[in-house]
Formats: sequence, structure tokens, C-alpha cells
Amino acid sequence: MADAFVLNRGNILERLGGDEEIFAMMLDMYLQDLEANCASLDAALATGQPAAVQREAHTVKGLLATFSDESGAAAAYAVERQAKAGEMAGLAEAIAAVQARLREVAVVLAAARSAG
Amino acid sequence: MNTVLIIDDSDINLTLIKALVQKLGECQPVLFENPLAALDWCRDHVPDLVIVDYMMPDMDGLRFIGAFRALHGRTEIPILMITANDQKDVRYEALLGGANDFLTKPIDRVEFSARARNMLSLRQGQKFLADRAQHLSELVEARTCEIRDRERELIFRISRAAEFRDPETGSHIQRMAHYSQIIARGLDLDAAAQKLILEAAPMHDVGKIGIPDYILLKPGRLTPEEFEVMKGHARLGHELLKDSHSEIMRAGAEVALSHHEKFDGSGYPRGLRGHAIPLFGRIVAVADVFDALTSERPYKKAWPLEDAVRFLEDGRGAHFDPLCVEAFLAGWDEVLDVRQRFQDEEVPMI
Repeated sequence: MADAFVLNRGNILERLGGDEEIFAMMLDMYLQDLEANCASLDAALATGQPAAVQREAHTVKGLLATFSDESGAAAAYAVERQAKAGEMAGLAEAIAAVQARLREVAVVLAAARSAG
Repeated sequence: MNTVLIIDDSDINLTLIKALVQKLGECQPVLFENPLAALDWCRDHVPDLVIVDYMMPDMDGLRFIGAFRALHGRTEIPILMITANDQKDVRYEALLGGANDFLTKPIDRVEFSARARNMLSLRQGQKFLADRAQHLSELVEARTCEIRDRERELIFRISRAAEFRDPETGSHIQRMAHYSQIIARGLDLDAAAQKLILEAAPMHDVGKIGIPDYILLKPGRLTPEEFEVMKGHARLGHELLKDSHSEIMRAGAEVALSHHEKFDGSGYPRGLRGHAIPLFGRIVAVADVFDALTSERPYKKAWPLEDAVRFLEDGRGAHFDPLCVEAFLAGWDEVLDVRQRFQDEEVPMI
């Protein structure tokens, strides 16, 4: 991914109507679900079924978009489209990149939570 | 309180939408990660709004909407479907399949609140109209009952008017009406027909209103000429009641005209034979004669029950339709109950 993730708190809060409580709750959930989401991507890839990969990539795309990570969402969307087209070749690398992005976002979010 | 059903396989989305729904106020969110489990819940519960994600395992949002709409009484409930911006084809399909509106991911609270409130307003409008329709339906039902009650009272009083000019009593019309119902039941007529004959039979002699007192009240035997006049009460009753908008009155007209016909064709006024005599006439003939025989009158003693039964049995195929006699005797215990219930001194309403 070309650009590093930067938390745009103002943008996210605007979408949430300025609700800090919901923002904090979502942040916690992201961190809590991080490994499960990465594992789901691996599991989908292991099935060899494009539909399973497409569905998990779609979920991750939405998740990253929720935190205004346009680059991460775009990478997940690329995986989703490739899987939808039934092209499994090269998907493992693309999925690994998306998983790395999920973890990168998690680090930033964890820091934001610690900072309050 | 509005029940908002939320179906999304993503925990974070479920939690986010739940929090947003709670912020709407007056809403109770019900959450499902699995659309099949949600559908199962919907069989016994009616949500006020459904918010469903498109892409889910086991069953996607489109298939969920189709299955949900197929459930009884769920065709109008508002559905918001959550899709990504790029899924225009899915949106078209969802609109055709029964979704009312969409939410785009990532979810924006302002957009969410506006769309959800619109959908809930739609639902409130539906409920208001449904409640109003139900209220109006109950009102119509209540008014119809009042009209029916008035109609029945009127019929009873018309019948009584005829009976007042006759040595027979108000209890006679009650008993013979209930005997008629017993026969109708014994003949396996449906419940509506049984009720109809119960209400129409009391009018069998209403034509006696038009018979001169010197004949109607004559203590001795009628001359042949007087009897001819007396027989006219069948046609008079029919004239009085025919062509009514009321089904009961029309049935009463038929009974009035045909209750003195005899199965072998020797009755009056038309000398009809067998099944050419209307069924209600054949039924009332048995009920009326039995009660007349077993009742005391100023000019005669009441017959013993066994003699009256023998008279009916002897008259099978001649005076009476054999099947009507059989149905009457098959309901003998009920006949005795009716005799006990409607004794001559008291005149209760049907």
C-alpha cells in the first residue's frame, strides 16, 4: 500500500454525528475483531472458492471504509473484484497486503485509544 | 416502541447500527448475524423496520428480502438494505425484490437517521391505517349486528301479531322454530341454513293477519267455504314477505307459502308434490304439526307425545317428507329440551 494510514478522527466523527461514544465502541470492536478478520481472509483463501474470498474481502472493505481508510478499502475492493471475476492467481499476495493493512490500522487505532 | 430488526454478519456493523437505532429513540433493536436465524424469528415476530446487509453467508440480503416478503403479513414492512456504493446492480435488484430504501457503507449517522425515521414514519402510517380499518370493520360489524337484532325482533313481533289473532301462543312459534332447526341440523344443512330456518319459521302463519275474525276465531268446525278462505293465509303470508331485501324475510315468504303442502301432493295452496315442495316448507310442516298436536288449545287437549310421534310416522310419504320426520325423531332429546324451555306461559325471544 503506497500511503500510510492516518486516522482522520474528525471525518469519522462527522459521519457518526459527532458521537464519541459510538466512535470509542467501534474502535474497541475493530481491535477485538482484528485477528478474527485476518483469519477469515486466510480461511476463505484456503477454500479455493472465489465467492468465499469475495465475501470476506467485501466485509474488510466495509470495515476499513468505516475508519475512512480509502487506500485500505481500495485494496480490499481490488481483491473482491478479482475474486468475483474468479481469478485466484496472485490473490494470496494481495490478501496478505490487506491483512498487513488491517494490522497497521489497528496499531494506529490502539494508539488513539491509549491517547484517549 | 418500534422493533427494528438488524441483520449483518459483521459484528462491528451490527454494533454500530444497534447504537444508531438506539439513538433514534423509541426503538428496540433485535440483532442477528445469521439471516436464516433472523428469518426464523420473523415467523413469530413482526418488526417495524428491517435493516439488512447485502453480502452475507448462507443467504444474501436479496434472498432474505424475498423470503421475508413471502411470509404472511410482511409485504408492507419497510426494509432498508445496506450496500456498498459500487453495487448499483444490486440496488436495482433489491428495489424490484421489495427493499424500500438503501444505506451506503460506510454508514453515515445523519443519512442513517433520516432514512430510518422515514421508514418508521411509513410504518406508523401503515399501522394507523390498519388500526383505522380494523376499527371501522368492528364498527360496521357492531352496526350490522344491531340491524340484524332489530330485524329479528321485528320478525318476532310480526309473527306474534299474527299469533295474537289466533288461539295459538307465542311459545308455539318458538317451539316450532327450534324444532325446524333440529330437523335442519339432522338433514346436515349448513350452520347458516340452520340459523336461517330458525329465524324464518316463526313467520309461517303471518298471513293469518288477513283472515277475518269470524273464521280465524270460530270455535266450531269451518265450513268448506270458510276453510277455503282460511287456506288463503299461505298466499297472504307469501305476499306480505316476498321480494324483500332481507334473506330472512324471503325465507319466511317461502315457508309461509309452502308449509301446508303435503308430500303426496294433497296439500295447499299449490298442491306441490315431493321435492317440488321447498325444503324449508317440508321441514316446517313437520315442526308445526307436531307442536300443534302436542299443545293444548281451548278447543282440544294436547295429544300424548307417543300419539303425535305415531302421527308423524304414519304420515311419512303422505303428509310429510320421510327424511324430515326421520331427522326430527333423530333429534328427540333436543325436541324434549325445547318443549321444556318454551312452555306456554312464557314468551322468550329467540
